[in-house]
Amino acid sequence: MMVQNSKNYRKLWAKVKRSPFTHIFMYIMVIGGVLLFFARGTGQLGYDWQWYRMPRYIYTVVDGEFIAGPLIKGLLVTLNITWISLILMFVFGLATALLRLSDSIVGRIVARGYLELIRNTPMLIQLFVIYFVLGPIFDIDRMTSAILTLSLFEGAYASEIFRAGIISTHKGQHEAAYSLGLGTFHTYWHVILPQAMRQILPPLTGQAISLIKDSALVSTIAIYDLTQQANAIVAETFLTFEAYFTIAAIYLVLTITMSIIVNIMEKRFKFVH
Amino acid sequence: MQEKELGDHIIQVDKINKTFPNGPHALVDFSSNIRRKEVVVVIGPSGSGKSTFLRCLNGLEEIDSGSIIIDGIPLDENKKNRLEIRKEVGMVFQLFNLFPHMTVLENINLAQKCVRKKSKEEALKMSVDLLKKVGISEKADNYPGQLSGGQQQRVAIARALAMMPKIMLFDEATSALDPEMIGEVLEVMKNLAGEGMTMIIVTHEMGFAREVSDRVIFMEDGAIVEEGTAEHFFTNSQEDRTKLFLSQIL
Repeated sequence: MMVQNSKNYRKLWAKVKRSPFTHIFMYIMVIGGVLLFFARGTGQLGYDWQWYRMPRYIYTVVDGEFIAGPLIKGLLVTLNITWISLILMFVFGLATALLRLSDSIVGRIVARGYLELIRNTPMLIQLFVIYFVLGPIFDIDRMTSAILTLSLFEGAYASEIFRAGIISTHKGQHEAAYSLGLGTFHTYWHVILPQAMRQILPPLTGQAISLIKDSALVSTIAIYDLTQQANAIVAETFLTFEAYFTIAAIYLVLTITMSIIVNIMEKRFKFVH
Repeated sequence: MQEKELGDHIIQVDKINKTFPNGPHALVDFSSNIRRKEVVVVIGPSGSGKSTFLRCLNGLEEIDSGSIIIDGIPLDENKKNRLEIRKEVGMVFQLFNLFPHMTVLENINLAQKCVRKKSKEEALKMSVDLLKKVGISEKADNYPGQLSGGQQQRVAIARALAMMPKIMLFDEATSALDPEMIGEVLEVMKNLAGEGMTMIIVTHEMGFAREVSDRVIFMEDGAIVEEGTAEHFFTNSQEDRTKLFLSQIL
């Protein structure tokens, strides 16, 4: 009778350990513990949290009219810069990868040179060089400098992702396309790239997320993007924590949205059956 | 082994050499002339250079010296020449190399549209005819992954034929197939030979060689050891090395 009881208890314990509720409970305990830790820590700072002052910087309603606050204006600037840079990152990345894989020696050298130069210097420095040094020479304005820097920088990393994906395709695919007489363009467009996309899309998404986050650096050349607007609010009101946490949350929403969109795209397109 | 009129020389290979970067001297002063409508079977131990020879014929491998002329066009640096040759020479691979992300029909249509510049309708018509010819019309809208090895290889043959090549190269086309599927592919190849296609076939299928070939070439260490008709080979071969090889595989 005693042995039977302990066996039952062990079975029950095994079931409890496996159940999803246990996992959720443990997750809440861990996260709760971390948040508690932070709350007590910042409590020690003697900081006066004034979250109630933040919403007006996001939007205000005057006479029933919705007026966008500075943070939304900043968000729009960030989005504007970001979407153009994303497209250019794709273009520069793919072009560079194809150049590196081409038969042309000049093409390969140029691509490699661009890659090494960009990868081995900080983006902030590149931004300053383009805006302060090349800007006056070629008459490049602020926004163009920002977009150019972002797309060149992220494009260099993207090119390695494209190259890795292309290389990973089966050699036999190239050979089959070759024997059928398909030219370089058709081979890449119809045969290689669709198959390579499966390998390329996950890390490329990561690169796109980096681009969104790195766009915060354009605040250093006085572009009033999301980060710079937050800086302005802090300068005025000293609401340091509230402002920066708020924009961190906004950036998070941006990047998570992008991830979700790409995930949906991946499932819909199902590049290789 | 029928009575057939062989044409003029369509492939002229003159003393080609090929050494691979990591060592093997795959082809040693290799020469051969192949006539239109001829069916040539190349046999030999692995590493003898049979596949290398085949792959040099459409430019997949570069030769170090010597010359190759296909239907009057020299295979050299000239990109236009190479393109012409690639269009006229079709190849079937051991691992099929079908495009997995496209349906069977799309596989066969692709080169017709992109290279022969055919319209969608023209390409479709030819693809459907070819599928019927190789006996798998019902699989037209399937993806390669849903087909058996034998079916995939037949699609690969149809795909190569869609370009209406003058020469078909078969690089161990049945070596990766389960035994019960080899027959269906050999059947297609036999019919193709019967229609007068110039074919060069690297294979281990001796029964097929005996039945279908006009000439058999035995290679070893990058050179031709012996060549002759199938009858000669299998009943009356001269060289010791040939006899040794044949005794091992027959």
